Amino acid sequence: MNDTFRRVLAAAVFSAGSLTAGAVLAQSITIAIGSEPSTLDPQLRDDGGERQVNDNIYETLLARTPTGELVPSLAAEMPKQIDDLTWEFTLREGVTFHNGEPFNADAVVYSVKRVVAPENASEQMAYLGTIAGAEKVDDYKVRITTSGPDPILPSRMYWMKIVPPKHAEEADLAAQPVGTGPYKFVSWNRGSDITLEANADHRDGAPDVEQVTYRFVTEPGTRLSGLMAGEFDVIVNLPPEFTATVPKFAAVRGIETSTIILSTDNEATRDPRVRQALNIAIDRKAIADNLFLGYAEVAKGQLIHPNAFGFNKSIEAYPYDPDRARQLLAEAGAEGSTIELLGESGRWLKDREVIEAVAGYWTEIGLKVDVQIEEFSRYLDRLFDMKVRPDAYFVLNSNELFDADREMSFAYEAGAGGASNSEKELAETIRAARTETDLEERSTLYDKLTAKLHEEAFDVPLFNHQDIYGMSARMEWQPRVDGKLIVKEMSVAE
Amino acid sequence: MSSASTSSLPLALSGGTRLAGGFLRELWHDKPAAIGLLVILLIIAMAIFAPLIAPYDPAAQSLIARLKPPAWLAGGSWAHPLGTDHLGRDVLSRVIWGSRATLLIGFSVVLLAGTFGVIVGLWAGYAGGRVDSLVMRLVDIQVSFPGILLILLIVSVIGPSITTMIVVLAVTNWMVYARQVRGIVMSVRQTAYVEAAEVIGCRPGRVIFRHILPNLFSPILTVAILEFTNIVLAEAAISFLGLGVQPPATSWGLDVAAARDYIFIAWWLITFPGLSIVATVLSVNLFANWVRITADPQEREKRFARAQAAKRRRARGDQATVPAE
Repeated sequence: MNDTFRRVLAAAVFSAGSLTAGAVLAQSITIAIGSEPSTLDPQLRDDGGERQVNDNIYETLLARTPTGELVPSLAAEMPKQIDDLTWEFTLREGVTFHNGEPFNADAVVYSVKRVVAPENASEQMAYLGTIAGAEKVDDYKVRITTSGPDPILPSRMYWMKIVPPKHAEEADLAAQPVGTGPYKFVSWNRGSDITLEANADHRDGAPDVEQVTYRFVTEPGTRLSGLMAGEFDVIVNLPPEFTATVPKFAAVRGIETSTIILSTDNEATRDPRVRQALNIAIDRKAIADNLFLGYAEVAKGQLIHPNAFGFNKSIEAYPYDPDRARQLLAEAGAEGSTIELLGESGRWLKDREVIEAVAGYWTEIGLKVDVQIEEFSRYLDRLFDMKVRPDAYFVLNSNELFDADREMSFAYEAGAGGASNSEKELAETIRAARTETDLEERSTLYDKLTAKLHEEAFDVPLFNHQDIYGMSARMEWQPRVDGKLIVKEMSVAE
Repeated sequence: MSSASTSSLPLALSGGTRLAGGFLRELWHDKPAAIGLLVILLIIAMAIFAPLIAPYDPAAQSLIARLKPPAWLAGGSWAHPLGTDHLGRDVLSRVIWGSRATLLIGFSVVLLAGTFGVIVGLWAGYAGGRVDSLVMRLVDIQVSFPGILLILLIVSVIGPSITTMIVVLAVTNWMVYARQVRGIVMSVRQTAYVEAAEVIGCRPGRVIFRHILPNLFSPILTVAILEFTNIVLAEAAISFLGLGVQPPATSWGLDVAAARDYIFIAWWLITFPGLSIVATVLSVNLFANWVRITADPQEREKRFARAQAAKRRRARGDQATVPAE
């Protein structure tokens, strides 16, 4: 009797299982992203395509809500700072990786050591800068040490994905990603697509979308055609002209700011008056309104993102005044001089158009602009080449740390990242601000820095960009401020 | 009237122009070819006199007046007959200026790659044996090497410019000529007249250029025309990657590539530079077809025979229709 009951129950469970299995097919979506991941190892490259996929497979100790607030994820609670150089994380218990390995202190220690190991030369160190090492306290407690005081260590841990130690040692993490996240890796057809399936055992329950396929489509026009043809459910970087054409779209103020970094050492851009002239020659409002149709705002005279700590509220963008620009050029004796402008094409929304428009404005005030649009990897080589700096280069900076240190260390700290100046004092102030633990003092330091950078025009800040996504009619999704494509936050209306 | 003027012409002109006049008359009989030549000449003139013809500076932008349609559509105006592009630049002026880079690159690359490829092919085919297998293996190696990689390599060393582009495209496109030529030379070498020339003691140079080369004219012309189209499209792709023509300069290919994203809302951006490419390639094709036949004695004989037969048929047809009625 008992036995029969069990059998009936089993049959019922089985048929319920096959029912959900039937619904699975309807719940699969396709996302068109702009570039194929160079690897699926989550700890090596600074690669947007890789993140768009791995953000769903792996998890981090801390995560952000869709509106940008830092919350515990694999950590059980927010970390405690033990002393200037040490932070203690308590870990969530009962989490396993997709391959069955347990998530514990060993996995965290292994992951930290792997990413900071010099022989791995991880490009992500730009975000993880100060992290020196990790030690296990007990099975679910880890201490992370930094090389100097680091007030934004929690933000950095939002960046670092935790990998399973055994799998990472024995298998090829670059081709077989295994994480703790809501999606499991299924397959990767090089040059074509990557497929993930829902992880039913995830602690938040199985996500809505059962299967997700990523397709790599470089051209915005092709992505758009695919969306219109019903081939894709979500496409990235929808050109703003098409928001009315697509079934659904969503725009959110992202974390990206565009700018043109000027070299303070090069002959052509050495004079601050020339650099100011370059700033006021551009009608940013016209570009934002006409080229981006309002889906970009004029940056407030600084590269620091408005959502980031260290944003200077008292600075305004240089106003558009071509006559004054000409006058400044005349005072500096720089009329008719040639300025090289390095850029790329296809990586960011309307990048080529913005570069050409800026070159047009600079030509109007009587300069000769030598535009050099380079293939992306070559562009990066030149951007990071510390020996020969371009007079000016266009770049889109994204601030995943929500802290001014990201912009400062990328764009202005002499000798690092893509800085185009050699001012030692400036670099020292930037380093001082990085390790200052008193928030108010830190904020004052950044205000001083941003004011100096603005007055002496170290760059030409352009726009705070919005991320625009095109979606099929059945998709329900509110994009996140940090620009991540988190599939478990999407759902399909049938 | 026309026959009187043509018959008086040769008397006044020298021998060379008489020959040219003869060709022109022959060309006039082949209407499509004549139109082709006319269009080519017009496009070349457009490229040369671009600063005089173009109504605007091709780089002059006006963001407020972007994506304006051509004049004959609602919202267009005759100030910009073909409309404006995504930065508010005049499409007509860009088409006129774009012809310069496109024609320059197209013709130079075909000429450079063609010359080099033909010489290599002649040498390999004529010398045969070890030289032939060595040269042809080199060709095989380069064919199997991804062109874009080579282009990246060369451009990153020299830096992007129109000259670099011409050199790079020539370096990656000569192989097809070499293969084609080598094949023909191998077969022509076996013919009686080449053997005869060798037997009576002609030097290799004379055999190659006097007896073998003329056979190559029509096949090479066909390949060159196909290649011209290829080059125009390759230039577009490379420029779009940022390795070729740099703004504010432009080319048809670059404009086509940049306009792809706007195809759903502003068809005129891609259409007019695209039509220019089509018109050029088609005209070159039509004219080259005539040149090929005219340059080949056998083909020319056939064409003459066909024309005569057609004339006779017409004459007979005219007589035949009368009694039928």
